[in-house]
Amino acid sequence: MLVDLLRSKRWLRRTLSGVSVLLLLGGLGLVGYPFATNMWTDRIQARLEDQIASPELQQAYKERKIETGDSLTRIKIPALGLDTVVVEGVTPSALRAGAGHYPQTPLPCEQGNVAIAGHRTTYGRPFGNVDQLKPGDTIELTTPIGGCVYQVAKAPWVVAPSELSVIDPTSERSLTLTTCHPKGSAAQRLIIRATWVKDLKAA
Amino acid sequence: MRTVQRLGAIALTALVMGAVLALPAAAQTGTQTVETRPESFIATAAARGLDLNLFGNHVTIGQSSALINSTPTAKASGAGIALIAGTVSTSEVNAPEQSAAPPKACAINLPVAGLLTVELACGESKVSTTNGAPSAYGAGAVAGVDLLGANLLDPIVDLLRSLLNALLPVVDQTVGTVLNTLTPVLGNLLGGLTGSLGLGSGSTVAPVSGLVNDLLDGVQRATQLLDVKVGDSTAQTVTTAGAVTATATAAGAQIDLLPGLTLGGSPLLSIIVGSAKSVSTFDRATAVSTPTFDAAVARVRLGLPLLGGSVTEIPIQLNAPLTLLAGTPLETTISLGAGRTVKDPNTGSVASYADGVSIQLLKGLNGGIGLELAHAETGVGGQARLVAQQALAPAEPVPQLAKTGNDPWLPLAGAGLLMAALGIRRRITAAQPVRTSERVSQ
Repeated sequence: MLVDLLRSKRWLRRTLSGVSVLLLLGGLGLVGYPFATNMWTDRIQARLEDQIASPELQQAYKERKIETGDSLTRIKIPALGLDTVVVEGVTPSALRAGAGHYPQTPLPCEQGNVAIAGHRTTYGRPFGNVDQLKPGDTIELTTPIGGCVYQVAKAPWVVAPSELSVIDPTSERSLTLTTCHPKGSAAQRLIIRATWVKDLKAA
Repeated sequence: MRTVQRLGAIALTALVMGAVLALPAAAQTGTQTVETRPESFIATAAARGLDLNLFGNHVTIGQSSALINSTPTAKASGAGIALIAGTVSTSEVNAPEQSAAPPKACAINLPVAGLLTVELACGESKVSTTNGAPSAYGAGAVAGVDLLGANLLDPIVDLLRSLLNALLPVVDQTVGTVLNTLTPVLGNLLGGLTGSLGLGSGSTVAPVSGLVNDLLDGVQRATQLLDVKVGDSTAQTVTTAGAVTATATAAGAQIDLLPGLTLGGSPLLSIIVGSAKSVSTFDRATAVSTPTFDAAVARVRLGLPLLGGSVTEIPIQLNAPLTLLAGTPLETTISLGAGRTVKDPNTGSVASYADGVSIQLLKGLNGGIGLELAHAETGVGGQARLVAQQALAPAEPVPQLAKTGNDPWLPLAGAGLLMAALGIRRRITAAQPVRTSERVSQ
């Protein structure tokens, strides 16, 4: 019946043809969105790699004047094969780099609870597999002026998005990673807590 | 079936696309209704059954009042006889969600000012401010009002007796002579009555000495000067979702002068008054107030045994007072009041008055008896509530850990759009007309 209608109505065929093209473009956009973000993040990371090695950033870090979106530290997790540059700030714009440092927490390797958030399924998905971390796995942070190593203290756990206490200050030197949970959703947060092990000598 | 499935797929696709487009828009365009001026109103109602001025003594019988406003306040009072505590009920509330309904205040066989006896007088009042709708109700009622006979009746009987005795020497003359003799005493009353009976000044009738004697006997039989029956007086103010209404009603009354005068028990004079009603309404949506009234009607019934014992009814015209027994000590004037409405052009408030009947009885006797019957009045006014649409202040975001995930339905929606697009393409392709070259090859 629809075919007969389409056969007899040329204008209807053309209209539906236009609609199908729009649907096709919309569908491709939605399906291809995660891939597009990964490509976007790759470009940003290339810029950040250059920036973190620059003397200007080193000076800014010393003066504690890192702007939101600028390189702050490199994070390496050997157990996951992760090596990416973390920027300052956790705004949506800053997090297009993949991972960002909560600005209200101490700078990496300093006394207290350093907190870093990272994407899990988009924008390079740096924290895509942090749920696989086990106690004892190491996390290395390298800043423009030094670095340190943390060790995962306990198995990852899930909290509500409003559970800000996980990034509250701690008396010891610790590192907290946060990412969305479950994968592809922002309904909850996955938390990884690590404690300081040792400092690294500046390069 | 397949067609239905495809149409369903298209509808689903459109729904998904609509949701994708509408969600961000809805999040940005919230408004709220804000009250910029609260509603205010006031409504009053008052009714009076009978206001009696008895040889200088003032008594109000059957009085009620009610008032409400938007603060909220509700007041009501009802009195069988004003100022007599046992017959007065009052109640008042001044805060939301309150009510009061005291028991009726009643008294029986109540002497008033040494002049009246009231068999039963009751006052009632109820008020409420519950559910944001203030209301007030007051009512006053009496049953059986008698003027005490002895002191008042004696001088009148004496007066009538002296008048009638003066007539006896001429009772065998013609009717014209009788009328000429009576006219200065009974005034316009006789003219109307003899006219209705077909009697002129030249008529000759049987001696009337018997009739005069009958009248004398009747005066002797009369045991009361005045018998008053007054209906209930009610005042009510109510608030509904759409309007605030004040209603006052004074039920009818009957005044009998010298009851029992005739052998059949008829009084010399009966004045019958209908009910008076006043209503004022405030429309809460438009703030327009409307007054209406229904003024009382009245008629007079005369029973004069000396002229055949028949009863004659005389309607009373608006703005045309009727005077009976003019020039005599028994002169009586009856006036029918009109209704009227008043509107304040500045505030829009209105008032409505339904006046009843004013009667001045026996003017020649110590100032006489004044009666104001069936009076009702109401008034309302106010301002409507004003509201305005204001943009919602953006909601303060709840502090959260950084959002590093996405809405999981995005890829699903994308897949749905792709499937819908492919389905439509297939149908379009199937519907393409066969090309000429293909037809030739076939």
